[in-house]
This record gives sequence, C-alpha cells and structure tokens, in this order.
Amino acid sequence: MAQNPQATAAVPDLSVRLGPLRLKNPVMTASGTFGYGEEFADFLDLGCLGAVVVKGISLLPRPGNPPPRIVETPAGMINAIGLENVGVEVFLASRLPGLRERGVPVIVNIFGNTVEEYAELASRLDGAAGIEALEINISCPNVKQGGMIFGTDPAMAAKVVEAVRLSTGLPLITKLTPNVTRIGEIARAVVDAGSDILSCINTVAAMAVDIFSRRPKLANVMGGLSGPAIRPVALRCTYEVVRSVNVPVIGIGGITGAADALEFLLVGARAVQVGTANFINPATAVEILEGIERFLQVQGLAGIEEFIGTLDTGCLFPFAEESCEWIDLKQP
Amino acid sequence: MGKMQEDARIIRNEEVARMTWLMRLHSPGIAARARPGQFGMVRVREGIDPLLRRPLSFHRIHSGKGEIELLYRVAGKGTWWLSRCQPDSLVNITGPLGNGFTMPDNPSAAIALVAGGIGIAPLFELMVRISESRSKIKAEKMHLFYGARSADELLPAAVFESTDVSVHWSTDDGSFGFSGYVTELLEEWTARAGFRPTELFACGPLAMQHNVARWALARDIPVQLSLESLMACGIGACLGCALPAVHPGGSSAEHYVHVCKDGPIFSAGSIQWRKIRKQQLPSPIFPCD
Ligand SMILES: Cc1cc2nc3c(=O)[nH]c(=O)nc-3n(C[C@H](O)[C@H](O)[C@H](O)COP(=O)(O)OP(=O)(O)OC[C@H]3O[C@@H](n4cnc5c(N)ncnc54)[C@H](O)[C@@H]3O)c2cc1C
Ligand SMILES: Cc1cc2nc3c(=O)[nH]c(=O)nc-3n(C[C@H](O)[C@H](O)[C@H](O)COP(=O)(O)O)c2cc1C
Ligand code: FES
Repeated sequence: MAQNPQATAAVPDLSVRLGPLRLKNPVMTASGTFGYGEEFADFLDLGCLGAVVVKGISLLPRPGNPPPRIVETPAGMINAIGLENVGVEVFLASRLPGLRERGVPVIVNIFGNTVEEYAELASRLDGAAGIEALEINISCPNVKQGGMIFGTDPAMAAKVVEAVRLSTGLPLITKLTPNVTRIGEIARAVVDAGSDILSCINTVAAMAVDIFSRRPKLANVMGGLSGPAIRPVALRCTYEVVRSVNVPVIGIGGITGAADALEFLLVGARAVQVGTANFINPATAVEILEGIERFLQVQGLAGIEEFIGTLDTGCLFPFAEESCEWIDLKQP
Repeated sequence: MGKMQEDARIIRNEEVARMTWLMRLHSPGIAARARPGQFGMVRVREGIDPLLRRPLSFHRIHSGKGEIELLYRVAGKGTWWLSRCQPDSLVNITGPLGNGFTMPDNPSAAIALVAGGIGIAPLFELMVRISESRSKIKAEKMHLFYGARSADELLPAAVFESTDVSVHWSTDDGSFGFSGYVTELLEEWTARAGFRPTELFACGPLAMQHNVARWALARDIPVQLSLESLMACGIGACLGCALPAVHPGGSSAEHYVHVCKDGPIFSAGSIQWRKIRKQQLPSPIFPCD
C-alpha cells in the first residue's frame, strides 16, 4: 500500500498526553455531534478513536427546543437543539455500558442550570466506571438560564469549575465559548479554578431569517454556528488560549479533514474534536486519523509530539528582521 | 443488516415531470438492505457548499439488480445540483435510514394511499410490494389518491400499470382529474363510493398529511404517514429533526420524536399537530451559479 518511499517507515506514534489524560491518538468526536457513539458503529470502528465525547448530560432529562432546530448556512449550520438529553440516570444505566464495550475512552460532557447542579452531576459521574474525563460545558449559547452566563463571565466560570473540582477526581476539561471579547481571560480563570485541560470552541452565536416569510429560520430565533465556516475563528481562539495558559488545549471547530486537524495541532492544541463533519461523512474521524498518520510519515516525523505547537511566527521577511519587531507574536 | 455509506453510480438521471427528476443508481449494498419507506442521506456534491446531505426516500428498490431509484423535486440548491449529475458519476449515499412502512397485516384488504406531489416517491415501492403480496382472486381494490398542483407535475399514468392500484387523480388548478385538493377528493370519493379503507398510507405536504390524519382519526382508520423535518445527520445523532409528539406516558409534558430514527413513518395519533410551527413558505428558487 506504500504510495511514497517514506510511507514504508515505522508507524508514527500518535499517542498524546493531556495532563492527567493519556490518549492513543489526538482525534476525538465532539459533544452533540456523535450521539452516544452507538449511532456511528455501522460506519467506523469506535475503538480507533482517541475518545468519544458524548452529548451533553444534565441531572434530569430535557426535551429540548421546539423545531425547527437546525438550519444550513454557507459552509456551516446553526443549531438550537436546546440540550435535549436523556439525563444522567438513563445515561449511566443504558448508554454508557454499550459504549464501554466498544473499547473507546468515554468523556462525558456535562451542563447544569446552577453551580450546585454541575457539582451534583459531577459527583454522580465520579463513581461510575468507564469514564475517562468530564468536559464541563459552560459555553452553550442555547440555554437562557445557564450556559451563556457561566461561560462569558470569568468569576462565574471559575465558580462552576471549582465546584466540579471538589466533587470529582476525574480529569476536568472546560469547554470555552468563542462568544467573548477576551477568551484568554476566561481560560486563565478556569485553569486557576482547577481545570486540567481546556477545549475550544463551542458554537458561535448566530442567526438566520427568511425574507419571504419574514420569520426566523430557527424556532429559538438564535442558535450556534458550527462547521467549516467557523474554522478560522476557532483556530484563532485556540491559538490565543494556548498562549494564555499552561495546560493542554483541545482544538474544536470546523474540522473536516486531516489538514484541518493539523492546523490546530500546529498552533499548539494537543488534541482535536471533530463535530459537524460527522454528519457529512460519518467516517470522518477515522479518515482524519489515517490522514495525520500519512502526513507524519511523509514529513518523516516519528510522532505527533514533534509537530504539536511548532508554529513559526517569526518574521515573514527575514531580510528585514529589525523592522519586524513590532509584530512579536510570541509575547502573550 | 445495518446502515452503510456507499458511492452509488448514476445509471440515469432525467426529468420525468415538471421539476421532478428520477435518478436510478447502482447501489448494491443499500439496495440489499432497504425497505419501502426508508430513506438515504444523499451527498449532492463534494465540498462544503451545500454542506449537509439531503434526505431522499427510496422510490424503487431493485435488490436483485443492486439498484435503487430516487424521485426528487428540484426544491433548492441541493436538489438542483443533484439534477446536474451525469450518468456514470458517483453520488455518496448513507442508508438505509429510518423505520420504513409496516406492511399491512392483510395486503388483500381495502387499502388506500394518498400522495401529494412528490409524496408519491416513498409510496410507490410500497404499492409494488403490496401488489406482489396480494391474493389475485380475493383482493379488494387498492386505491391511490394522487394529487399535485398542476397536471404537468404528475407522473404519467403508465407508471402505475405495473401495480395493482386504481389511481384517482386531482390537481389544485383543475388541469387534470378532480379539481381541488387530494384530501377533498379522498373525502368526496370515499363518501360517494361508500368505501372505507382498512388501512391508509400517505405522504405529501405537511398540511395535506394533517388533513389525512384528521380524516383517518375521525373514522378510526389506522394510517401510516411519511413525515419530513430538517435533518443534519439522519442517524439520530444531532437531534435536529425533532417533531412535537404525544408523550408516551400520556402526560402533557413536552415530548419530541426524531424523524430520522423514530420515523419517517408515524401513526397519525402520535404527532402533536397543533404544536408544529407554521411552516416556512417554500423559498423561490434562486438561479444557481
Ligand atoms: C425522510 C425524508 C424523505 C424525503 N424524501 C424525498 C423524496 O423522496 N423526494 C423529494 O423530492 N424530497 C424528499 N424529501 C424532501 C427533501 O429532502 C428536500 O426537498 C431537500 O432536502 C431540499 O433540498 P434543497 O437543497 O434542494 O433545498 P433548500 O431549500 O436549498 O434546502 C435548504 C436546507 O433545507 C432542507 N430542506 C428543504 N426542504 C426540506 C424538506 N421538505 N424536508 C427536509 N429538509 C428540507 C435541506 O435538506 C437543506 O438542509 C424528503 C425529506 C425527508 C425528511
Ligand atoms: C447539533 C449540535 C449539537 C451540539 N451539542 C453540544 C453539546 O451538547 N454540548 C457541547 O458542549 N457542545 C455541543 N455542540 C458543539 C460542538 O461540540 C462543537 O463544539 C461545535 O459544533 C464546533 O465544532 P464543529 O465546527 O466541528 O462542529 C453541538 C454542536 C452541534 C452542531
Ligand atoms: S437528523 Fe440528526 S437526529 Fe435526526
């Protein structure tokens, strides 16, 4: 199968360490875009994935928003699902066991309406076997009561993370929203509060209207934009967050192929999550994995660690080095 | 057999009625698995615009030949691109998805079907299967009530010759058959003929399906409806394709079903019709570049 002389080289090491979390490779699937994993079992071998992040879970089941809940936009889609989910009890009893059997590390995305709910949820999940980490969703733009408020205010965000930290010994990932002016500030606050890892970004606040019916295209009026349309925004956020904190960062947003994923790793993300692309090609995550492996082989790299965070932001015009001092991007 | 993703080769793609195209595909994996009433998610084009796949029902399933047919109305960007696809090129399809129709307990009983416009698409394979399983001697007449806005949007009568169905035509503008809505034709004809179907199948615009549902519920006739919703994944992962439904526990609590996995075939009584938001007007088609 070797298409390239270098392709016969040893298989590159794809394993990554994210603080307390060790993954066999850096490719995960993003919350809300991969169901509870089972839905994709016909299309790919779940066991190949670095991890599966399941749909956001709350203490009690939630019915979600009235339809229409989604709308397609140029190179993207806006969703206002309203965090529909089966609730933590049903998740533990009937979704988690099946997923564990597939041999894939499970990360549970959690959200609550109050700090106490987050904490209670975390302690319910703390005791359950087969959960690798928790991802705290403080960034969903759809729930009026909670999400947006927690994720956009550094003090509130820190409170949630502190409470969760006290309730569980599991590795904690905090998922950041791009809908803030200074994402680095929120990042620092949640790391100080005890988050081991950060992931970014959640969806970008957005809306779509119909000029003929003069109605919003979503029943919720506003929703969250995802897909290739947000990738440059996500990349910038990831870069900013990487430079603001010294914990591992997971890059998310518009990744559809290996090259996209590598962009995030290049700017310093230690892993990526694939979201909307799962809808377009249910085997995307595995194809990305294969693509990264081929890229490393062609580049002659022994492992993904040799590539992560190697972005060269030096002067674009080396002959004029002195006049480039003003663009010193390496300084935070 | 589960779901799969397949690069289907186009055998034929042609306009068979106004804005209505028939695409025949070589898709052996899906053809072997599919049942009437199920659908596929079709990637109309490589690239990121349009980004999402389009849900299309299986119009015909030729499992022996490894072929399927899709009947689609050019309704916007995605279906327009699909109509541009040439024979021998490939289209990626995931499927078969959804629950599909439940075959009638007694296929020889008095069965009626109601199709509004492109709603004929999923009903055709069902009619073929029912026709095949009927007792030629004892079967009651099977009736199809088939309406469209205008005569040029209807499939030609000849295509129904292979089935065991008598077709009752209607057009909104009166250009062919009964003048008026197909649900009016259903009501009028059944009353006049004293015909009471034992079972009903329907597909078409939401308003039409709602009327069929009301008609059937009032007469206590079981009905299977093929419903639509906006979809992103088609496999139960995004939860985007929700429709308001009657709570299974009988409570008044908010409850949603998901068209791609709980449907697209639903019984009339399971949907909370009143809670479905006013449908968007179909946007006029802009010229595609
Ligand atoms: C289960 C199911 C089976 C279907 N079977 C058929 C069929 O056999 N033949 C046929 O012609 N049509 C069928 N439809 C409707 C078909 O999916 C839409 O007409 C098509 O998606 C329109 O895409 P577009 O890009 O041309 O239109 P656009 O208006 O440009 O589409 C914009 C977005 O809205 C979605 N959309 C628009 N109209 C509908 C609709 N009525 N239902 C669902 N999504 C819609 C599109 O998928 C896309 O995401 C089916 C729908 C569902 C849910
Ligand atoms: C339909 C849908 C549902 C989502 N649900 C959740 C969720 O429950 N919790 C969460 O943290 N993020 C959720 N997200 C956000 C994604 O996990 C991801 O952060 C975002 O879509 C950006 O990545 P993408 O462009 O690759 O999709 C959802 C996204 C989509 C499209
Ligand atoms: S279309 Fe994604 S859940 Fe139905």
